[in-house]
Amino acid sequence: MAKAGLDGHDRGARVVSALLREAGMEVIYVGMYQTPQMIVQAALEEDVDVVGLSSLSGEHLSFTPKVVELLKEKSLGDTLLIMGGVIPTEDIPSLKEMGVAEVFTAGSLTEPIVEFIRNRVRKS
Amino acid sequence: MAINVEKLTEAYSEKPKKTETWSGFPLKEVYTPADVRHISYRKEIGDPGQFPYTRGVYRDMFRGRYWTRREVCGYGTAADTNERLKFHIEEGASGLSVIPDVPSHIGVDGDHPLAMDEVGLQGAPFTSLSDMEDLVAGIPLDKITMSFNESASTCPVTLAQYIIAAQKQGVEQAKLRGTMQNDPLHARYCGYRPNNPIDLSVRTSTDIIEYCTRNMPLWTSGNVNLYDWREMGINAPQEIAFGFSVAMAYIDAALQRGLDIDEFAPRRAFYCSAHIDFFEEIAKLRAARRLWARIMQEKYGAKDPRSLVFRFGVHTAGCSLFPQQPLNNIIRIAYEALAAVLGGVQSLHCCSYDEPIALPTEEAHRIAIRTQQVLAYETGVANVTDPLGGSYYVESLTNRIEEEAVSVMGEIEKAGGALEAMRTGWFDREVEKAAIKYQQEIDSGERIIVGVNAFTIEREEETPGGVHRVDLQSQRIQLEKVNDLKKSRDNRKVREAVAKLRSEAEKGEQVNLMPAIMEAVSAYATRAEIMGTIRQVYGYSYDPLEVIESPF
Repeated sequence: MAKAGLDGHDRGARVVSALLREAGMEVIYVGMYQTPQMIVQAALEEDVDVVGLSSLSGEHLSFTPKVVELLKEKSLGDTLLIMGGVIPTEDIPSLKEMGVAEVFTAGSLTEPIVEFIRNRVRKS
Repeated sequence: MAINVEKLTEAYSEKPKKTETWSGFPLKEVYTPADVRHISYRKEIGDPGQFPYTRGVYRDMFRGRYWTRREVCGYGTAADTNERLKFHIEEGASGLSVIPDVPSHIGVDGDHPLAMDEVGLQGAPFTSLSDMEDLVAGIPLDKITMSFNESASTCPVTLAQYIIAAQKQGVEQAKLRGTMQNDPLHARYCGYRPNNPIDLSVRTSTDIIEYCTRNMPLWTSGNVNLYDWREMGINAPQEIAFGFSVAMAYIDAALQRGLDIDEFAPRRAFYCSAHIDFFEEIAKLRAARRLWARIMQEKYGAKDPRSLVFRFGVHTAGCSLFPQQPLNNIIRIAYEALAAVLGGVQSLHCCSYDEPIALPTEEAHRIAIRTQQVLAYETGVANVTDPLGGSYYVESLTNRIEEEAVSVMGEIEKAGGALEAMRTGWFDREVEKAAIKYQQEIDSGERIIVGVNAFTIEREEETPGGVHRVDLQSQRIQLEKVNDLKKSRDNRKVREAVAKLRSEAEKGEQVNLMPAIMEAVSAYATRAEIMGTIRQVYGYSYDPLEVIESPF
């Protein structure tokens, strides 16, 4: 779970991380001020199944392609990429086209996020 | 379409599932004189404008003057924001409110490699004096009140920029009316920890308090921000307790600086939330007034009655709003604004309904202003001060909240006081606990949120009224502006001013840095150049994001 860019609103990232842990998942919250490079590096090092991005600054459309590109570069193109935060519904189709599997905006309940991840990530 | 008769029958005989306040106080079905018999009106409630100010900070409240209607504004460039401010004035706002962008809050310039994509996205950029000049162009600063929604250790720079921009308009600083949050300690909890280390935070905040006390009698030296704490998930009594403990840390520092309590306390204020539990929020504001008056009198021995009053602005709770069926937010905001007014607010910002989606569109901003205007002109609630005073329920709840706030303040004391609680992560743990609990209540359905876990519809594909987009051209314009400035300004003057600032800062904590900062601002030194220099003297990296080095 990471926040790209300089935005500092991380209540959602923290709460979702905690509740995913409660659902039995291992979550590493790398924190704020992450560049796309740092996020992908962490994903690689921690060998994650899922990358969660939290965005409340309005720049989700500019950093997402960078994250997707770097994931592909590091052969992590199959990693499940999900997003949350303050994201207009209008932008969801574009984000999905970029490679985001699903967007869980503010007001999302926890169960659908858990279900989505469980359905998409098969245990090896 | 077949009707669901069972659903209809259930709906008809339904009753409240949750009979507690949002913060968890169990509520009786009805409150009676027996519940308030023990309360002394004279000692515990008092008339408005009289100790302990439970009923209001002024004798005449809104009959003397309506609350100020000011809507927070900031995006794109300072010039874009100037236009939106003029729109607000056109639409009937009675005060101005500006928020700097994230890079400005962090203390980096628009040309910082990590900042370039974030310039102008959540506020307006204030890299140099030139931006402030753009912000106030055509706005007579001696005729308006301005509120800067900035809390970080960068506040002295913004204040200096405003003072100098006013000077250029021919307005002296003693005539400037307005406020700035100046609450860097709380900024640590809304994403600005890197540039708000505790020692630097206390220093910059105290410099501003001292400078304003000596030079700006009409300027509020700080609005201690309770709002952002509440946004992180804590409840009403915690909002008071956390905020008050931080407020006291600033007072302690100002006293240590050598100021007398009655010299600066009259120009302090607060910034609170108005959340969705209607009566609890009103009781919270009343409790806050009484508790603050008691603290100022008993703990600090303040004698001037103006030192005792809890003047406050309200920002309706952003975290109570949801993107699902967003027009519903207009209703939430209206109830919250009503609570703020019935709670005796001095200055009110109503969120726009698109708050959980993007920055406000013009239309959404207009509706927010209209919400305040309907309240002021149509409902009649401003005609009588503290209309809920004497209510068996509200007086009981006011007492209950005050008790709980005092209890939480005791816990903070046990944790070592506000500053120690920050160092040990006590606040972080409390905030996270509260936020998780709140989400679990929504997940389980214990807490009903219309449109989110009840009365939901398919995810909408479009936001009603459209989405405000910050024109990325603005970012490019700002970047060019910063680059041009650094080339065209008298760089020798900048180096001299920065050197002077450094040597003043090296003299130690008793030297107020505002004059040196103002000199640097006048020379068009940038925010990062000024803050970075001060940071270095404190032993921190020039760049809070640790990417660039000092050019000096």
